[in-house]
Amino acid sequence: MSKQHHESQLQSQTDTTSTDDTDTGDYKSELPGFLGTVDNAISRIESVLLAAGVLLMALNTIANVVGRFVFQSSLFFSEELNRLLIVLITFAGISYAARHGRHIRMSAMYDALPSSLRKPLMIAITLVTAVFMLGLAWYSAQYMLTLYDRGRVLPSLQIPVWIIYVWAPIGFFMTGLQYILTAIKNMIEKDIYLSTNVLEGYDDDEVEI
Amino acid sequence: ETWRYAFEEALNEVQGVFAQKFKEEVEANSDHEIQLFPYGTLGESADIMEQAQSGILQFVDQSPGFTGSLIPEAQVFFVPYLLPQDQEQLNEFFRTSKAINEMFPELYAEQGLELLTMFPEGEVCMTTKEPVESPEDLNEVKFRVMTNPLLVESYQAFGATPTPLPWGEVYGGLQTNIIQGQENPMFFIESTKMYEVTDYITCAGHNNFTTAVMANKDFFDGLSEEDQTMVNNAIEAAFDHILEYQQGLHETSMEKIKEAKPDMTFTVLDEEQRKPFQETASSVEEAFVEMTGDSGKEILDQMKADLENVTK
Amino acid sequence: MAVTIFSIMVVLLLLGFPMMIPLIIGSFVGFYTLFGGFGQLETMVQQMMAGIRPASLIAVPMFIFAADIMTRGQSAGRLIDMVMSFVGHIRGGLAVSTAAACTMFGAVSGSTQATVVAIGSPLRPRMLKAGYNDSFILALIVNSSDIAFLIPPSIGMIIYGVVSNTSISELFIAGVGPGLLILLLFSIYSYIYAVRHNVPTEEKATWGERLRTTQKALWPLGFPAIIIGGIYGGIFSPTEAAAVCVLYAIFLEMVVFRELDLHGLYKTAKSTGLITAVVFILVAAGAAFSWVISFAQIPQQILAGIGIDQMGQIGVLVVISIAFFIGCMFVDPIVVILVLVPIFAPVVDNVGLDPVLVGTIITLQVAIGSATPPFGCDIFTAIAVFKRPYMDVVRGTPPFILILLCVSAALIFFPQIALFLRDLAFR
Ligand code: NA
Ligand code: NA
Repeated sequence: MSKQHHESQLQSQTDTTSTDDTDTGDYKSELPGFLGTVDNAISRIESVLLAAGVLLMALNTIANVVGRFVFQSSLFFSEELNRLLIVLITFAGISYAARHGRHIRMSAMYDALPSSLRKPLMIAITLVTAVFMLGLAWYSAQYMLTLYDRGRVLPSLQIPVWIIYVWAPIGFFMTGLQYILTAIKNMIEKDIYLSTNVLEGYDDDEVEI
Repeated sequence: ETWRYAFEEALNEVQGVFAQKFKEEVEANSDHEIQLFPYGTLGESADIMEQAQSGILQFVDQSPGFTGSLIPEAQVFFVPYLLPQDQEQLNEFFRTSKAINEMFPELYAEQGLELLTMFPEGEVCMTTKEPVESPEDLNEVKFRVMTNPLLVESYQAFGATPTPLPWGEVYGGLQTNIIQGQENPMFFIESTKMYEVTDYITCAGHNNFTTAVMANKDFFDGLSEEDQTMVNNAIEAAFDHILEYQQGLHETSMEKIKEAKPDMTFTVLDEEQRKPFQETASSVEEAFVEMTGDSGKEILDQMKADLENVTK
Repeated sequence: MAVTIFSIMVVLLLLGFPMMIPLIIGSFVGFYTLFGGFGQLETMVQQMMAGIRPASLIAVPMFIFAADIMTRGQSAGRLIDMVMSFVGHIRGGLAVSTAAACTMFGAVSGSTQATVVAIGSPLRPRMLKAGYNDSFILALIVNSSDIAFLIPPSIGMIIYGVVSNTSISELFIAGVGPGLLILLLFSIYSYIYAVRHNVPTEEKATWGERLRTTQKALWPLGFPAIIIGGIYGGIFSPTEAAAVCVLYAIFLEMVVFRELDLHGLYKTAKSTGLITAVVFILVAAGAAFSWVISFAQIPQQILAGIGIDQMGQIGVLVVISIAFFIGCMFVDPIVVILVLVPIFAPVVDNVGLDPVLVGTIITLQVAIGSATPPFGCDIFTAIAVFKRPYMDVVRGTPPFILILLCVSAALIFFPQIALFLRDLAFR
């Protein structure tokens, strides 16, 4: 027992199958030349925003607890700041997820199709997805303009409400772009791609980029 | 035609009762139909307000406290002791106030909204874990307030520690003692079961929760004169209905609470006890004027004049 | 309109579109039909933003973050080693422990998604190693996490209590009975599963070994202590507890165990952000879709057609159960409660049903619906966190759904399962 026990303990210390080891250091854009450089830079920015958003959220929430419990004074802006961070994380994340082929889909029927059908279907899926992402980019920009005109402010921060949504149109746009690039990639290459540099297949090994 | 009307409370709460009466009147006196959307079914307060501004909703009920982020002057309703404490005088105030009936409609119109009426929802009382008879009793009490700068100012001036907490966490927060108090009208304390997790209800007369019903302005202006009159009459009828409904509501809600929790302690502060609370009002007034400038000062002064008119 | 939209959504879903697309296209079609064009699509964006606005949602990324740090480091392993030394020799012991841990964690955190992550991510690898089938594990985690709806504090019950004017304390107590009954049935099923699939057991640990594993788990045992102590001590809310756990996890893994460096922290935070985004975009799209359903008054139209006014108590309860079950298959539970409860309120009143019983049944249906395909937040969370395909996550679900449906039927015919404790405490 003790040997098996020891092994399982070792295993548990190193087993990270449940977590995601996507590392931007390893992300290499498949785009040629200057476009590739830009793509790499955007990927880098997205991952920094994601990490910073999560860390700031933890910091902000804990600061509020400490302020209230220790100093008898709450941070009134705490909730509004977290709202801003959630929007930031969600919209920096959807384009990052598109880049790494991580959006959730139900692929059972798709997987059962022969690859001669899967290819055109994947091109259609990515193009349709791109159209709706770009559409939402447009309408979320419109929504922000409307909020800008109305001038509503956040009660505690007293800053205009539209500012917290600023990541929405950007995120939708970048996501739409990722899906367009994926469609093009699928048109050019022989294999089938989930995103510009992730081949289809939903295995742990393949997704650990 | 089908008109849509959204409000911030459940169907059986004050805003819902007003909306139902309005619906009844409109449908009895015209061919129009009204669909009612209670709290949460189309989003939160700010969402339904925006939807009314875009014309998706024809009517919306939003309390000035929430409108404060759009129309800063609307926060005047958070200045303590600005509204009459006597029910008869209060009704008279809402009927006659120049600030409410003439000045606010202009401010709302700038936001694309036709202000149809404002009405009181009931005296705001505090529910706490310990008795409150003076500001000293609020010392070190973490008191949940809406995230509104003036409300925060008020409770700071009362001596409490104003604490923001999302509404969904208030019940649990009182239960586990993160917060030790919150304020709301009696009917709302009853319907949201806040009495289950507190032991004292104290009424200091510092405020009466006010709410406002609006129509999308383009929609309203586009109505025939006949329809406009019909809508205004329906509002009038609903207003009268709600004031009457209010008459016993505070007491009925108290009875319900007593029945459900016999050892609940109710306290109505007398004039002597209210004085120290009343004295804090001036600092809140200052904060209000600082936030809203001349336009706010004008409203505040008019509200005071209106108050004078009904209390003299 | 409803039929068209649901059909389009199911087809897109089956074709393998990213899951957000059926919800987004469903909303686009809804807006187009309602307003004769795309002129009001800003409101769709507004509702997507409203979907990710609730302050309590931040518990999800925070618990993902904390769980990820614990799993990468030593905390999770030490905790599980301790549990295993006590239950590893019992057949199905690990599965039962997982179900119990989900129930307990759900009870304090109040968030089903957070439970999926916090309990699921450390325990799933160990269950895999112990020889359980992945689809059983995933279904066990998702469904056990949904017991959190029934055990207080329960946000669903609070909302129901406010909308229906029912005592929240009574609801809380009434949820405990059915919640524990479900846990018991899940445990029995797990045991049967382990026996039938011949899941191997470990050798029984000696008390010396148990003492040793417990000692090694002392630091990580601070997690439950901090969560429970902090919440019931009035120091922080269940939502804030998540962030405090992050702080403690960072402290343990960076300072005490020295398992995590700054780069590791950065990577973990980024991966947390990614998982959060993948789930929250679905929450956002789901909120926009819910708005369309609510605005078009689709539930009212459907319910008007079935003549609920003529039914007796049992009939009404059955209709309510089915309506909430179906509603939650497509739409966020909280919205379903807000929209449907007022519609049913007069009927419930007329036939003289106990609103506490109705609330418990509704909460149970909401819990079932959240774990039932096609749309369910907990399913999405499991997919994103465990990186398993959709079908893997839902494949093992049927036995659990069957158990849950049996409990809801039992509740309808034997209301004392819910009301016994309530009557004991309040009557
Ligand atoms: Na719970
Ligand atoms: Na579902």
